[in-house]
Amino acid sequence: MPYDVTALRSRLEAIVGPDHVAAGTEANSPLAVDGVVPALSVRPGTQDEVSKVVAACSAAGAAMIPRGGGTAMGIGNRPSRADAVILLDRLDRVVEFDPANLCITVEAGVRLGALQEKIASDGEVLPIDPPDDEKVTMGGLVAANQSGPSRLLYGTARDFVLGMRVVLPDGERVHCGGRTIKNVSGYDMNKLFIKSFGTLGIVTEVTVKLLPAPVMRAGVVGLFPTLSQATAAVTRTLESFLLPEALDLLDPAAMDLLAPRLELGAPGGAHGVAVALAGSRSTVERQARDFETLFRAEGARVVPLPEARTVSAWSSIRNVFGLLPPAPSRVVCKISVPIDKGGAMLGAAGADGKALGLQTAVFAHAGSGVVWAAFVLGGRPSEETVTGLQRSLEALRQRAAAAGGSLVLCEAPPALKARMDAWGAPPPGLSVMKRIKSEYDPRALCSPGRYLGGM
Amino acid sequence: MARKELVEALRKIVGKTNVLDSLVDMQLYQYDAYLEERRPDAVVFVHSTEEVSGVVKVCNEHGAPFVPRGGGTNLSGGTIPARGGVVLEMIRMNKLLEVDKASLRARVQPGMFNLELGTALAPHGYQYMPDPASQKAATMGGNVAENSGGPHCFKYGVTTNHVMGMTVVLPDGEIAEIGGKAPDTPGYDLCGIFVGSEGTFGICTEVVVRIVRLSEGVKTMLAIYDSIERGSEAVSAIVAAGMVPATLEMMDQLVIQAVEQSIHCGLPLDCATVLIIEVDGLKDDLEEQCKAIADICTTHGAREVRVAKDDAERAMLWAGRRGAFGAVARLAPSYLVCDGTVPRTALPQVLRKVAEVGKKYDLKIPNVFHAGDGNLHPLILFDWRDKEQKIRVMKAGTEILELCVQLGGTISGEHGVGLEKMDAMKLCFSDADIRSQVALKRAVDPKDLANPGKMFPVTAEVACAV
Ligand SMILES: Cc1cc2nc3c(=O)[nH]c(=O)nc-3n(C[C@H](O)[C@H](O)[C@H](O)COP(=O)(O)OP(=O)(O)OC[C@H]3O[C@@H](n4cnc5c(N)ncnc54)[C@H](O)[C@@H]3O)c2cc1C
Repeated sequence: MPYDVTALRSRLEAIVGPDHVAAGTEANSPLAVDGVVPALSVRPGTQDEVSKVVAACSAAGAAMIPRGGGTAMGIGNRPSRADAVILLDRLDRVVEFDPANLCITVEAGVRLGALQEKIASDGEVLPIDPPDDEKVTMGGLVAANQSGPSRLLYGTARDFVLGMRVVLPDGERVHCGGRTIKNVSGYDMNKLFIKSFGTLGIVTEVTVKLLPAPVMRAGVVGLFPTLSQATAAVTRTLESFLLPEALDLLDPAAMDLLAPRLELGAPGGAHGVAVALAGSRSTVERQARDFETLFRAEGARVVPLPEARTVSAWSSIRNVFGLLPPAPSRVVCKISVPIDKGGAMLGAAGADGKALGLQTAVFAHAGSGVVWAAFVLGGRPSEETVTGLQRSLEALRQRAAAAGGSLVLCEAPPALKARMDAWGAPPPGLSVMKRIKSEYDPRALCSPGRYLGGM
Repeated sequence: MARKELVEALRKIVGKTNVLDSLVDMQLYQYDAYLEERRPDAVVFVHSTEEVSGVVKVCNEHGAPFVPRGGGTNLSGGTIPARGGVVLEMIRMNKLLEVDKASLRARVQPGMFNLELGTALAPHGYQYMPDPASQKAATMGGNVAENSGGPHCFKYGVTTNHVMGMTVVLPDGEIAEIGGKAPDTPGYDLCGIFVGSEGTFGICTEVVVRIVRLSEGVKTMLAIYDSIERGSEAVSAIVAAGMVPATLEMMDQLVIQAVEQSIHCGLPLDCATVLIIEVDGLKDDLEEQCKAIADICTTHGAREVRVAKDDAERAMLWAGRRGAFGAVARLAPSYLVCDGTVPRTALPQVLRKVAEVGKKYDLKIPNVFHAGDGNLHPLILFDWRDKEQKIRVMKAGTEILELCVQLGGTISGEHGVGLEKMDAMKLCFSDADIRSQVALKRAVDPKDLANPGKMFPVTAEVACAV
């Protein structure tokens, strides 16, 4: 639907001030979404302004794409339209921190890292640890349900959000949930917006529950000569009473990248299993001992991560793809499978990369069934390379689907996205999802085309 | 006659004997654990997903509303067929289909009782965490539909945190597997919105749940107080000290006395309140934790802290807590279970105010609650034969919910909205908020056949049926 950019621009300027509206015409603008350049970008400063901006775009029939920290903008298909990018970074206020009730309410643009800093002063923590936490905004965290290694013990954003405020596609402001840890008043609307990737409206405020920070942290890394030994250690861990916070499995390429940072010596082609331990001194020390024994029994060389280095070591592990060349020259995908299938998927993805002659790194949140694989294509990949990688990814996707799982493209150059759906075959229930989409966003103005099934 | 044709069509799906339509039978299905009643037109015993789908399609053809029913223990009128129609009796779909230890999941049918699942998992060394006090008689399908909580949810989360997938029969009869053993299914979180939808989004015919290794160690303790306020302060103090016990439950004097009469679990009759605190996890620091908690309790005025010395003593304490609602039935012919939540630190204040409400309306209100979650259950005693008293009870109940909302809480922590709290929704949601929820109902159930006439204020609900 054609709309009048100039008219919309002046309407938006009247809402947020001329300093906060810009044309987004540069081809390489970081605001481009999978190569689609928006005509405008707008930075509302309050939740009320978000509502007015959305209402104005809606009235003009302009397609809107919300953007938080930009760390998850690669997830999804190329948008069918992108008229206005709505930047939420100015919504950076802490609305209410209630340490006694282990709960905080923040605006959507507050960075996860900043939130952690704020609550750490009261000895509290939000145990969600996606990569790039200093950039990730709370709105984006929720919209993409981003997670990291410690989802093993604590779950994901889905398990921590108590309430939120959302601006619906017509500009109406609603709130979902509340601020108590139990709440079944009406539908669990939080779940509708979590993982909706900006296709049903814009999250402007989030209330999450917090946990007391652990007294102590430590870790153990095992270097295993073979993948089957490493997966055996994972299995043994899950069968034991031990309660690690995180249990990541790393392929030899990922271990090579991490070795200097984790002070592992020469990994020598080993697979790694890393555990994070948190809690009281007695339980952490006991678990560290038990893991050393358990890993050795499966044939590993063991490197303990002492308390002082644990936090930085885990930051390196979850950010391991940061050690690879950045987008757009690489492909990152997330493979989700039942927990016991993770090891095999990790092996398969690594082998595919090798066969294609691409630099590859793969790691898995092995107790959660999530495998992350990165393939470096380089500056100008040949047609043959792109086709080869596409074939491999499709085969991996089929394998994941056969196990009841999925493969989602989280970063890929437009050339690959043009040939391959980011989400794969739509899951059952697509008809309901489409009805939901058209109920909330009947004119398909919110991040159109990005979600699965063409939504 | 429409009803006769409906019954005939249902019998074609499930066989003659699996459809009930006699007056006596309909009277048996006209109530649940809440206070209102309405007769269905037919009751159908279902045995498989396909049968459920067939029944739902018949309901669609006849424009008949349908209501799934599990144990009927819900306290908000969720299973009362508000507009008549067909009740689907889920109780025969009660098998444990699979225990997949390698992927830490179990697959169960919805008619299985929560406790049965726990009992079946224990020999494998696993447990399912949500444990509503009604677990003996509440089904997994009911738990899913109400997003039930329980004592152990303070540490482990409620049903929605443990349901990873489902097979559902949608309101038009379509069968869909949503979520599953693999995490993070692409697309909207249908599984997440289905949990807590109180039967209004269709029927769950299979549940994939997360199972957790049995804890290496558990310790249960009882802290005894002469002041209910001091007891509820201790709850916040324990949490503020950075402890995460598995449970933090409270019972007041009236409840304790009723429990002692019926179960004899050794609770002191002369105290104002007891806290049941459990810690679990690795055995190494449980002693340490118990000691730290006991110290906090003592500092906050506990007259005595007892640690259960063995499993038998633990089981006794829990029998007392789980039997509390039942025991209170000894105190009066009926009672209304209130179910509000407040931020934990507001507990002392809200308890004081609940007592004032009791005085104002001249009603006895014992309290039993999930203190760690800030989820209170004042039980307003009355005699259902006394019409005037019932009016006072309803007013008192509403006032208590208003208090909870004023203190930053909400109108239901775990029992759901159902028929009971349709109007109370307005206490915590704006018209726009409610419209956005009704929009979801319209998207999932455009014909408004799945458990209609529930959840929303009557005015909003009319808009539902477009
Ligand atoms: C003594 C007592 C103690 C209780 N303690 C707790 C407690 O600690 N925590 C707590 O949360 N609740 C508690 N409850 C409330 C109640 O037990 C729970 O809500 C329970 O989950 C209901 O399960 P049910 O099988 O009895 O469901 P029902 O009462 O049969 O149904 C409840 C709702 O679920 C729907 N439903 C049932 N089966 C299905 C299905 N297969 N698919 C879709 N929808 C379905 C019904 O239509 C209805 O709307 C208690 C109740 C009592 C009487």
